Amino acid sequence: MKKTVLTFAILIIVVTSSIAEIINPYEKAMKAQLALLDSAQTIQEYQAVANSFERIAQKESNEWLPLYYAAYSYINIGFDKSLTLDQKDTYFNKAEELLKKAETLSANNSEITALRGYAVMAKLAADPASRGQSLSPVAMQLFGKAIQQNGKNPRALYLMAQMEYGMAQFFGSGTEKACSMAKKSVFLYENESIEGINPYWGAEMAKEMTTKCK
Amino acid sequence: MKTLLTFILALSATSVVTAQTFIQGIVTDTKGEALPGVNVFIEDTYDGTSSDGNGNFNFTTTEKGEKTLVVSMIGFHPSAKTINCDGTKQQHSFVLKEKIDQLNAVTITAGAMEASDVKKAVVMKPLDIVTTSGAMGDVIGALTKLPGTSTVGNDGRLFVRGGDASETNIYFDGLQVGNAYGSTASNVPTRSRFNPNLFKGSFFSTGGYSAEFGQALSSALVLNSIDMPLRNQTDLSLMSIGGDFTQTLVGERNSVTASGAFMNLAPYQSIISQNMDFEKAPSSWQAEILGRQKVGKSGLLKAFYHTEHAKVSVNQEQPGTDEVLTTSINNNYNFGNINYKQALDNGWSYYGGVSASFNQDNIGINGTQFKLTNTLNHIKGVIVKDFSDRLSVKNGLELYHSTYKEKNETSQQERSFNENTYNHFIESDYYLSKNLVFRAGLRSTYNTLLEKIWATPRASLAYKSGENSQVSFAYGQFKQLAKPEIRIQKNDLGNSESSHFILNYLYSKKGRTFRTEAFYKSYENLIRYDSASSRNLYGLNNNGSGYAQGFDFFYRDNKSLRETDFWITYSFTDSERNLNNFESKVTPGYAPKHNASVVMKRFIQALNSQLGFSYSWNSGYNYHNPNMAGEMQSTTRDYNNLSISWSYLPMPNLIIHFECSNVLGYKNEFGYQYATQPNAQGQFESLPIQQVADRFLFLGIFWTISKDKNANQLNNL
Repeated sequence: MKKTVLTFAILIIVVTSSIAEIINPYEKAMKAQLALLDSAQTIQEYQAVANSFERIAQKESNEWLPLYYAAYSYINIGFDKSLTLDQKDTYFNKAEELLKKAETLSANNSEITALRGYAVMAKLAADPASRGQSLSPVAMQLFGKAIQQNGKNPRALYLMAQMEYGMAQFFGSGTEKACSMAKKSVFLYENESIEGINPYWGAEMAKEMTTKCK
Repeated sequence: MKTLLTFILALSATSVVTAQTFIQGIVTDTKGEALPGVNVFIEDTYDGTSSDGNGNFNFTTTEKGEKTLVVSMIGFHPSAKTINCDGTKQQHSFVLKEKIDQLNAVTITAGAMEASDVKKAVVMKPLDIVTTSGAMGDVIGALTKLPGTSTVGNDGRLFVRGGDASETNIYFDGLQVGNAYGSTASNVPTRSRFNPNLFKGSFFSTGGYSAEFGQALSSALVLNSIDMPLRNQTDLSLMSIGGDFTQTLVGERNSVTASGAFMNLAPYQSIISQNMDFEKAPSSWQAEILGRQKVGKSGLLKAFYHTEHAKVSVNQEQPGTDEVLTTSINNNYNFGNINYKQALDNGWSYYGGVSASFNQDNIGINGTQFKLTNTLNHIKGVIVKDFSDRLSVKNGLELYHSTYKEKNETSQQERSFNENTYNHFIESDYYLSKNLVFRAGLRSTYNTLLEKIWATPRASLAYKSGENSQVSFAYGQFKQLAKPEIRIQKNDLGNSESSHFILNYLYSKKGRTFRTEAFYKSYENLIRYDSASSRNLYGLNNNGSGYAQGFDFFYRDNKSLRETDFWITYSFTDSERNLNNFESKVTPGYAPKHNASVVMKRFIQALNSQLGFSYSWNSGYNYHNPNMAGEMQSTTRDYNNLSISWSYLPMPNLIIHFECSNVLGYKNEFGYQYATQPNAQGQFESLPIQQVADRFLFLGIFWTISKDKNANQLNNL
């Protein structure tokens, strides 16, 4: 009897999980790629994961998340120091193009807006002497808009804190405002679920920033 | 029970027993080099992989039947082929062709200087116009610190490569601006009319420019207004010479910027002594409004209106007499511009618009009143087709309608003329590879006043000679009719002509740009006359000719010195032409031989300040001394001007800006004015043409108010 119950239980688990896979291969594929994204370090690894997200995106043409993560992967590639400015811009432009498409699938999305700001911030960081003045207001405007769209988006808050911090340093003014934003973002990160396929990146960077604040 | 289990096991194992198709292959570029990181997949499925470091890929799929295998990679044209998924092992190879885009393609830089935030070969940035010391917030002031231009301090307009100021046309969002400079008395420098903060960038050509532009022998300056401002804000400025209020409102798909400004130099001139006797110090008020509306997916409609009223009155001593010449000018100016641009699918895009300029000067010269009225209407429509990333063709039609009327209100005499010109231009860019581009264009014109048709060809090419360097060449023929003040005296005066040959080398590496250019310009059919009396010229003809040749260097660097951006330019111009009524070819007064400038800006964090200076030098202006043999045989002493500026930011949304031009008080002279008749000793008496004042001091407070806490003045630095 015990055995039957066990078999039955196993059976149920097998059935439900395989049914879940049949019903939602999308989430399964996304989760697999998110694990790879978390561990990616090199251009090759990020490119491979970006390719995977793009493959998912072309199949699931109504989902914004694959486009979002492909863009996020490309932005990460663009930070690689071995690239020339033109090459970096190629990746950032690609990210912006993907995010533009994502926006048509999901309007008023705080995550997309914040990532668009992150792409602008990355472009700025690629050549701060030439681009600082023109791009910093653009990045801040996008982070501001992302916070407006969702005040509980820790990424929008953390990225804005980054910009505020740089600005405060530039003007030689206090970093209190930037630091309190960073702290608030850490709090929001702590309450964020990292189970699903929604964005959850950035917690460690935000924590690191708060240590700088002390 | 058992059956159920078997069934379920069978179900979950279906994928294992299904026959899989194994796909492998290699991706290379057109040179046969392996491409790593290429996305290879079966369309509309998750099945696929990325190519490895040697361009090899392999993956399996459970798909069945005819499917599309796609390969794509950033920077390359994607490729696809139909495959049959039949459970076999298949080999597929792909060769990808590189995409030519703005980032990797060579651009034509001969004769062209683009102010842009994004381009890598930065000669000028849009913000330079506001932040260059000595520019005093005038677009033209900043441009005179670039190669190919010369400073003509008693004029203030743009003089390019031995050409006079009327040889440069100015465009606002692609449409021509009539009377782009304020009206002024002779030897009192003018300024361009528009607020530099309106523009996101500009394109400045010192020759050999596109067939899109015509009726300018030397140069075209294209100013592009900001598409969409970022936020609602109020800008207030209070300056030693006036004030300005600007309000920007931004909606989801539209925005409007409206501003009002006034300027009056009287208080300033009452404190700081001037070399010139102003009866009425220059004063003006102006209002501007710029609206934008997004239309559909990619359309943008912009409408701009500028209105301005200005006054000045000046007493000028005349050599050889005790007489004082009093000139007073009352200027009314209106400019409107509506334009639209849209990108369509399949590589089509179009843009165009309508502009109207109206300028009226009421001029009093020693009591005699003149009224001069100019109008210019410009209608333009352009269609661009990108056949591929290698070939694009631009096709445009333009209509100009212009009128000019002058009236002597004292004697009630008047004369006027008006004309229409119809223009067509076609221009094509062809990329042989990302490293080599050709451009060819033709501009055709029909003028109703002359009842003549003519065409001018343009051609250029650019070659990327290395990772960071390129060479380009430009050729063009340009025609231009004389100024309306001259043509009204003889309506059938024909075009003056110029041919340009320009060779350019550009080296640009992150933060450092070096540019050098050599040019030759021929001039034919220039306007000449036999004699002149007051406003009238006698014996006007098209028999003049001349040339200009030279070279220039430019180096800009924001990398080598910390927090410092600087540039150095040197231009050599050798120019001679039949001028006015001179018998021989002479070097005009507005074409100094050697021109140099140094501009530097440095942000000092400890002071919350940006400090800047600019130094301009040239080897002096030619002038005609009737007491000596020959023509235009004399040259003034060197021109020197050291300007400094200090922008202090006590808080992010406030700038206090101080600027002083010609700090060292150098007594610059721009030539000499001679008496029309010799004195008792047989000598023509003279007076130097001087600066209006030795120095110009400017103090301004700029304040931005916005609900958005992130609004700040940083972008005005």
